[in-house]
Amino acid sequence: MKSIETSISKKLSELGVADAEGLAPLFAEVRACFDAELAVASDEGSWKLFRDAWLGRKAGVLALITDNWLKPASPELKRVVGAALNELRGHVEAKIEERRVAIELGAESSAAARDAVDLSLPGVVRPIGSRHLVRQVFQEIEDIFVSIGFSVVEGPEIETPYYNFEALNIPEHHPVRDDMDTFYLELPKGAASPLLLRTHTSPVQIRTMEKMQPPVRVIVPGKVYRRDNPDATHSFAFHQIEGLAVDTDITFCDFTGTIEYFVRQFFGASVKTRFRPSYFPFTEPSVEFDVSCPFCGGSGTAASGGVCGKCKGAGWIELFGAGMVDPAVYGFVNYDAKKVSGFAFGIGIDRLAMLKYGIDDIQVFFQNDVRFLRQFP
Amino acid sequence: MKVVYDWLKEFVDVPVSAEELASRLALTGTNIGGVENGPHGAVIDAEVTSNRPDCLGHLGIAREVSAIYKTALKKLPSTTGKLEPAVGGDALQKVRVDIQAPELCGRFTARVIRGVKIQPSPQWLKERLEACGVASINNVVDVSNYVMLELGHPLHSFDYDKIRDQRIVVRRASAQEKTRTLDGVERVLDAGTAVVCDGDGSRVVGIGGIMGGADTEISFATKNVLIECAWFDPIAIRRAARALRLHTEASTRFGRGADPEMAGAASRRSAELILQVAGGELQNGAVDEYPGKQAARKIRVTRTEFLRVMGADVSDKELEATLGALGFAPVRIDDHRGAAGSLLAAWECAQPSWRADVEREIDLIEEIARIHGLDKFPPRLPAARAGAVRLPHFEAEARLRERLIGLGYREILTIPHVAEERDELFRPSGVAPARLANPLSEEAGVLRSTGTVSMAASLEWNLNHSQRNARLFEIGRQYRLVGEESVETRVLSIGATGEAREQGLYDGARDFTFADLKGDLDAIGMLAGGFRWEAKASDGGNHAEPEWLNPAKRGHIFLGKEDLGVAGQLSRRVADKLKLRQEVFLAELALGPFYCAYYGTKNARRYEPLPRFPAVERDFSLLLPEGVHFSAVAEAIRALAIREIAAVEAGDLFRGRNVPAGKYSLLARVKFQSHEGTLTDAQIGEFSAKIVAALTTQLGAQLRASV
Ligand SMILES: [Zn+2]
Repeated sequence: MKSIETSISKKLSELGVADAEGLAPLFAEVRACFDAELAVASDEGSWKLFRDAWLGRKAGVLALITDNWLKPASPELKRVVGAALNELRGHVEAKIEERRVAIELGAESSAAARDAVDLSLPGVVRPIGSRHLVRQVFQEIEDIFVSIGFSVVEGPEIETPYYNFEALNIPEHHPVRDDMDTFYLELPKGAASPLLLRTHTSPVQIRTMEKMQPPVRVIVPGKVYRRDNPDATHSFAFHQIEGLAVDTDITFCDFTGTIEYFVRQFFGASVKTRFRPSYFPFTEPSVEFDVSCPFCGGSGTAASGGVCGKCKGAGWIELFGAGMVDPAVYGFVNYDAKKVSGFAFGIGIDRLAMLKYGIDDIQVFFQNDVRFLRQFP
Repeated sequence: MKVVYDWLKEFVDVPVSAEELASRLALTGTNIGGVENGPHGAVIDAEVTSNRPDCLGHLGIAREVSAIYKTALKKLPSTTGKLEPAVGGDALQKVRVDIQAPELCGRFTARVIRGVKIQPSPQWLKERLEACGVASINNVVDVSNYVMLELGHPLHSFDYDKIRDQRIVVRRASAQEKTRTLDGVERVLDAGTAVVCDGDGSRVVGIGGIMGGADTEISFATKNVLIECAWFDPIAIRRAARALRLHTEASTRFGRGADPEMAGAASRRSAELILQVAGGELQNGAVDEYPGKQAARKIRVTRTEFLRVMGADVSDKELEATLGALGFAPVRIDDHRGAAGSLLAAWECAQPSWRADVEREIDLIEEIARIHGLDKFPPRLPAARAGAVRLPHFEAEARLRERLIGLGYREILTIPHVAEERDELFRPSGVAPARLANPLSEEAGVLRSTGTVSMAASLEWNLNHSQRNARLFEIGRQYRLVGEESVETRVLSIGATGEAREQGLYDGARDFTFADLKGDLDAIGMLAGGFRWEAKASDGGNHAEPEWLNPAKRGHIFLGKEDLGVAGQLSRRVADKLKLRQEVFLAELALGPFYCAYYGTKNARRYEPLPRFPAVERDFSLLLPEGVHFSAVAEAIRALAIREIAAVEAGDLFRGRNVPAGKYSLLARVKFQSHEGTLTDAQIGEFSAKIVAALTTQLGAQLRASV
C-alpha cells in the first residue's frame, strides 16, 4: 500500500489530474496494488486487517479515495471518479469476500484433519447378552416346523415308566430298555408308581394324543436324560425335539417329505438325504435318517486329502431316528389304528448344533464359559 | 455280529462284492459298522437291531441277501444217516430229559457222542472263529460256537460222564441258589432263573441259555459228549442275565428270541461237525422234549393297507418274491387273484419260527418296504390342516429373553443334576428334593431344587477360568418332591459378578452392585406391570428368608400379592464354601405367575394422552432419620392426594461429611403436571409447602434446601 499511500492522501488537483484520461492510470495503480497485496490475507486475522485497510469506514483506502478524490472533485470530474470508484469497490468487495470463503474453507479442512475420529478405535462398548446356542438351534427348528403347521407342546421331564416306556410299546424287559439306561428317583416307601427322568421326548406323544383327536401335528422341545458316563460325545442330559403327526391320510411319503423339507431348510438345499430301515418299538416302519456329510460334501474325503474325520469316510452322517407310528401305540391312546396313521421323529439338538457349528465336545454346552457364549451372539 | 463273506457264500450266491453287499444291507435294515479285509477275507461288521436275533448267524444274513437279490438260499450241508431218527433211537437209552419248567424252557434236545478225542481245532475252524472274534478253546467247544455263528442258535456241550444218572432236569432255580459257572465264578441265582440240573435235579450244571457249569465242563480228558440244544424264554433270559450281570453270546441270542425250530437242526449240525473234527461214535437219534411247540401263525397283508401306510405301491411279483425269500410263504387269498396289481389284493402269510418279531400286517408291510428300498417311496410335503400354535408362554418368554439380553445377560443351559450338599445351600427349609435312586456319582445325586444352585456353579466355572466378569441368566426348571409326586417349576435364574462396566477408552470401570441387579430386575418387572420389593417374605409365601443371601443386600420380589422370588448378594458363608472370592449377585423368580402377569398387563395397557402443558420439577433436599426409607417419603407425598403430582423420584443420596450421625441425606424430586393448564409459581409453592409439612411432621425430616 506504500506505493499508493501518497497519491490517495492528496486531492486530484494536487496530483495535477483534471480529466478522465489522467484518472485512469491512478485507478489502475490502486487496483494493481490491491491485487498484489490480496495474498497477504491468508488467515482470519490477516484477512480482517486487510479488509479494514481497504474497506474501513474512516481510514480505508476506498474511504480515503472518496474523501480525497471524489468529494473535492469538480462536478464534471466527480461523475467519472464516482464510476471508477464504484467499479473499484465492486472489485475489492468481491475479491475480499472470495478470500473470506477460501480462508474459512481452508480453516475447516485443517480443523477436520485435526479433529477426525479414528475409525479403528472402538466405540463405547455396552454390555449385551446372547442366547445359548442350543436355544438358537431349538428356535430355528421350531420356526421351520411351525411354518409347516406343527404346534409346539411341552411335557414333564420327570415321568412315569408308563409314559416313557409302556405306552410307547416298550414293555418291561424289552431289550430296547437296555439301550436307554434310565435315571430313577428315590421315592418314599409305598409310592404308587416309580418315577424316572424321561429318556426321550416321546412320552409327550402319548400325553398329546391322550388330550386331543387327530389331526395332530406337534413338536416337543425339551431336555432328556440317559445314564451315560459323560465324554466328548455323551452327556447324561441333552436336548431333543420330538415330532408327531397323526391324521387319517398320512403316509410314509408324507413322512419322508416332511423330514427332507426340514433338513433342506436347516442345512441348505444341497444336502442329500437317505432313510435306512431301523428298529424302534414305537414306530413301524422305523428308519434312521442320514444326511450327506456337510464337512466333506458327502465325498468321505477331507479337504486335506485324508479320510473325513466327521463321517469317518462314509460320506453320510446319521442324524436321528424316526418312523411311522406303530399301531400298537394308538391302542394306548384310544385311537383307531385302522383309521389313522402318522409319523414320529426325535431329533438330538446338541448333536445337530455340534454338526452345524463344528463343535467337538458336547460338554461346552453345559459349562457356560462366557468365552463360548460370546461366540454365538 | 461279524459276517465272514466267504462263509456267507456257503448259504447263498452273492452277486456283488463284500463292500457293495454291505452298503445294500445297510439300506435294507442291517446296520453296518464297517467292512474289513483281513487274513480271512472280507468281514462285514453287522450291527443287528434287537428285534432281529435271526440275523445273529450267517444263515439269517444269507436269508436277507436272498431276499435282496432274489437268489435262492442253499440247503444246509447234508447229514449222515446216523442222525436219524430226529427223535428217539439209541439216544433215548443214553439220556433222559425232564423239563419241569416248560414256561422257561420250551424245548430241550440232547444227543450223545461217545469216544471223542478232545484236541485243538483244525485250522479252518480256528480261522472262522477268529474271523468272528471268538477265541478257540478245543474242537468240541469250538463246534458249539461255530454252529451258533452259522445258524444263530446257541448250544452247550457237557462232559457226558459227569452228568449224574444220565438224567437232565430243567427247573426254576430257588432263591439264593448257588452254582459255579464255567468261567470259575460262583453265581447266586434269582428264583425263576432256568437252571439245567443233573441226577435228581439237585445239582445245577448250567444256567439255562446263559452259561454252562464248571462241574460238567468239557476238558481234554472228556471222552463222551452230551450236546444240549434248547430254547429258553427271552424275557426270563433277559431278566436272569441282568440280575446276574452276565451277558453272553448265548444270553444275547436267547434273550432276543431264538428260533425254537432251529434247535433240532443246530443239534444235528453240531453232531456232524463233532464227528468230523473230534471223531467218536454218535448214538442214533436224539432226545427232544418240546413242550413249547407252536403252530405257525397266519398273518394277512393287503394292498389297501400297504398303500394306506406307505403311500406308494409295490408290484405283486416283487411283494411275493420278497415275502417268499424271507420265509413268509405268501398266498393270494382275495377274489381277484387273476388281476395283477389289484387294489383289493390280499395275501395270507405264515410266520416263520425265526421271525417272532413279525406278528402283524404292519410288520409285513415293513418287510416289503425295506427290501423294496425306502428311497423308492416319493417324498411329498403334506398340507397342514390347522394353524400352528406356539407354547402359551412363547411370547412372554421371548420378550423376557430379549430384555435380559438387552440388559447384557448371556443365556446359559445347565444339567439339573447337582450334589446334595450344594443343593442344600440354596434349598429353602421344608422343601423335599428329587433325589436320584441310581445317580452316576454323588456330585450328580439330586435334581436341583432351585435354579440358583446351577447359576452359582456356572459363575464359579467362569471365575475358575479367569473370566471375572459375567452376567448370566437361565430359563429352566426346578425339581421338587411333594409326597410321592414330582413338581417341576419354571424359574428364571440370574447371576452376575465382576464389573458392571469394564474399563474402556471413554469410561472408567465400575463394579456390579445390588443396585445394578435391582435395576435390571425392575426393567424385567416392567413387562409384567412392575415388581414390588419387600425386605421380608410374605406370610406363608414360597420363599422363606434366603440364608444364602447377604441379609443387608437382599430383597423379596412381589408381583401383586404373588411372591415371585428373591434377589441379592451371595452371603460370605456360601461364597466361601464355593470358594468364590469376589462379590456374586443372584436372583431367582418363578416364571409361571410372571408370564401370567405379562399377558394381563399387556392386554390392560391403554394409551395415555401426552400432557399439553409443561411439567415442573421441585427438589426437596431432606435430612432423614436412618430407617426411614424412600418408600415412606414417596408414600407421604402421595398421601397428600395432590392430583398434579406426576412422579416422586430419588435424586441423590449420601451419608457422612456434614450429615449428622443417625441421619442421611436424600434428595426427593417431585414432578408436577397438570392437564388443565400451566402451573403457576403460587400453585407450586402451595404444593411444596404441603409436602414439606407432611415430611417434617410425619417422618421427622428436616429440610436442607428446596430448589
Ligand atoms: Zn465327511
